Amino acid sequence: MDSPAANAAFAKQIGVTFPLLSDMNKKMLTAYGILKGYDVQSENYQWALRANIVIDKNGVIQHIEEGDSAVDPNTAVSVCTKLHGKEESK
Amino acid sequence: MKRWMAAGLLLAMTPMMAASPRPQAQKEEAAKIALKVGDTAPDFTLLSDSWKTVKLSDFRGKKNVFLAVYVLAFTGG
Repeated sequence: MDSPAANAAFAKQIGVTFPLLSDMNKKMLTAYGILKGYDVQSENYQWALRANIVIDKNGVIQHIEEGDSAVDPNTAVSVCTKLHGKEESK
Repeated sequence: MKRWMAAGLLLAMTPMMAASPRPQAQKEEAAKIALKVGDTAPDFTLLSDSWKTVKLSDFRGKKNVFLAVYVLAFTGG
């Protein structure tokens, strides 16, 4: 997992406008069940799965994608746009 | 500016076996995200790239959150 310092350097490099978060102790990844274990040379290593998750204003999960399909953020973005549209029409 | 909040969770890991590609034959533990649509998202507090704490529940009632777990992004960390 990356440290905040590594994320800061990356954020500067790519010019992001949203926070890049670090889960150094894997708390969030564990809580969300996103870690995957690999046995390599009799040691177990844990990597996170790639995932896109959309959480609405009420804290309810509205969309989950994992693995290869999570490389493309467009579906998750359209879910966000729909959520925003629903709020506007209220 | 769109009102929904994009929060990126970037988790790039230094390859521990950079010199050799990961063998395909190892045992892989089945992993599946335990959560499903309609569940309440577990709260978390994490450090951002500007060393500020970001808490999911701080957005409750304010913004929608797009959480992207992005591994192997080559941040070097």
